[in-house]
Amino acid sequence: MNIWKISIKNLFHKPLYTLLSIIALAISIGLLLGIRQLDTAVKQQFDNSLGNIDLVIGAKGSPLQLVLASVMHIDNPTGNISYQEAKKISKNPLIKTAVPISYGDNYKGFRIVGSTEQFAALYEAELDKGQLAQKAMEVVLGHTVAQQLNLKVGDTFLSSHGFMDNDMDVHSDPLIVVGIYKPTQKVIDRLIVTNLESVWEAHDHDDHKDHENHEGHDDHSEHIEHIDEDKEITSLLVNFKSPMGLLTIPRQINEKTSMQAALPKYEIERLFQFTGIGVKVISWIAYIILIISCITIFISLFKMVKERAFDLALLRTYGASNFQLIKIVAYEGFLIGVLATVCGVIISQSGLFFVYRMIKEEYKQTIMQNLSYIDILQTSVWVFAMIVVAITLSILPIISMNVSKILSNEK
Amino acid sequence: MVRTENLTFKYHQKETVFQFPDIDLNQTENLLILGKSGIGKTTLLHLMAGLLKPSSGTVTITDVNLQSLNSKQLDKFIGENIGLVFQKNYAVRSLNVMENIQARLFFCKKKVDHSAITNLLQQLNIESCKSKKINELSEGQLQRLGIALSVIHEPKLILADEPTASLDDENCQAVMSLLLDQAKKNKANLVVITHDQRVKPLFQNILEL
Repeated sequence: MNIWKISIKNLFHKPLYTLLSIIALAISIGLLLGIRQLDTAVKQQFDNSLGNIDLVIGAKGSPLQLVLASVMHIDNPTGNISYQEAKKISKNPLIKTAVPISYGDNYKGFRIVGSTEQFAALYEAELDKGQLAQKAMEVVLGHTVAQQLNLKVGDTFLSSHGFMDNDMDVHSDPLIVVGIYKPTQKVIDRLIVTNLESVWEAHDHDDHKDHENHEGHDDHSEHIEHIDEDKEITSLLVNFKSPMGLLTIPRQINEKTSMQAALPKYEIERLFQFTGIGVKVISWIAYIILIISCITIFISLFKMVKERAFDLALLRTYGASNFQLIKIVAYEGFLIGVLATVCGVIISQSGLFFVYRMIKEEYKQTIMQNLSYIDILQTSVWVFAMIVVAITLSILPIISMNVSKILSNEK
Repeated sequence: MVRTENLTFKYHQKETVFQFPDIDLNQTENLLILGKSGIGKTTLLHLMAGLLKPSSGTVTITDVNLQSLNSKQLDKFIGENIGLVFQKNYAVRSLNVMENIQARLFFCKKKVDHSAITNLLQQLNIESCKSKKINELSEGQLQRLGIALSVIHEPKLILADEPTASLDDENCQAVMSLLLDQAKKNKANLVVITHDQRVKPLFQNILEL
């Protein structure tokens, strides 16, 4: 027999009360942890998706839309820009790399992005199998795409126009899978990467039917030059050599060209300011539930002390000191706290599991599922601060207990 | 060995000052304290048990003056040397019979001697209730558990507060003989306070308040 055992027996003596306290506390802990982790995970995911992109240059419109479309690949593009003009900007000495991307098709909801070889470097993506797209109509799949569509190197498929999966507007030329990237947990995982020519060919086929039959262009370089002249891309992803670029280039583009420059980091930060309100509201609700559940614990401990005043007085005649009685009550609160924290972590993790799965199905994006120890620690500190308050308040009657009075009144 | 000298006690809010006659018991001597209710019987018992501090006077048990002990020493002394029996015999409700006895021994830091416990429970005829919960016990079993809890740690002094008040004649005799029997076995002093005249013939030493 020891103090712990007595505390545990006390908890089991009123199982319903104990269960209620644990459930209430566990739900609030679960909610707190869940919302915090989700918030952190989403922010991390966005930060991660930025890759090495410092600046996006695209058609005029909403800068947030431009970032969401060209960096996150979750929104529609603002329009197209001239490849020629974009190329001019790329020559700026402050720019390290400028990767043009062009898109407009999808296969089963996965976007097909036409770009140069530098695109993969933005996300530090390496080939898992096969090789890079050399010719038009060759594609390299992101890891998630390959996994979910069960495609292998050598497989072919027909893309459809737009960003939604549809059977109405299917292109007739098949694309062939020549490679698959390793998983990166970045946006490239859910993209189908090809070269710019593939995208142009798929879209300009009808408009430039006579182009192929054109006799006068035997000179190859002239041919390319010609293509570049009237070709359009969706946007240009820029990586600066030095932060100096951030200061001069965006203003230059916004003021002097028909294009716009958007800073992904800044736009995403702005986005979080909008969504942050929702996170805050849910956090406050969780904190309120936490306070209420700690009041529940206080009431159950206090009731235990009051209702079992005789039992406690009896223990005093057995030789127990006041401190030992306090320990009995404190251990009970502590046990409830620990059990609730464990349940809360389980609740939050299983809740997040479903949320992540939903995100995966909805946005075709896998999210890094790290247990955030800092979040757990912070929440635990909160919970234990509350429990300590609840315990302190409920042991006050023990400190002022009059054993003789309790024993004689009980008759 | 129990001795009280010039004991007086006054409750905080009340005017009445209780004055108690001196008590002096040698080893194995028992005492019956009789008196009407409200005369301060329980107060005297609690003074002897160290649960109340007297306004003046001293209580000495086995040569130890209770008033000279600090609260920690007093807790320890009470736990080790005194066994209390109540009118309604309570045990800790969240623990079962055996756990109550183990808790009793834990708090006065005595070793759990299983054969001694079994022996005692057999004598009191509640050995079969060992793992029963307190609310599953009958009134009589609860009473006997109360006696077991008051003697299991081999106290020097057993104090009983109206142990027979709610019992019929037969059970009254049974409980009193159990108490006397256990006191004798433990070589302890038994002090019983009651207004129950049926108990009178069992005692040589009687103090009427």
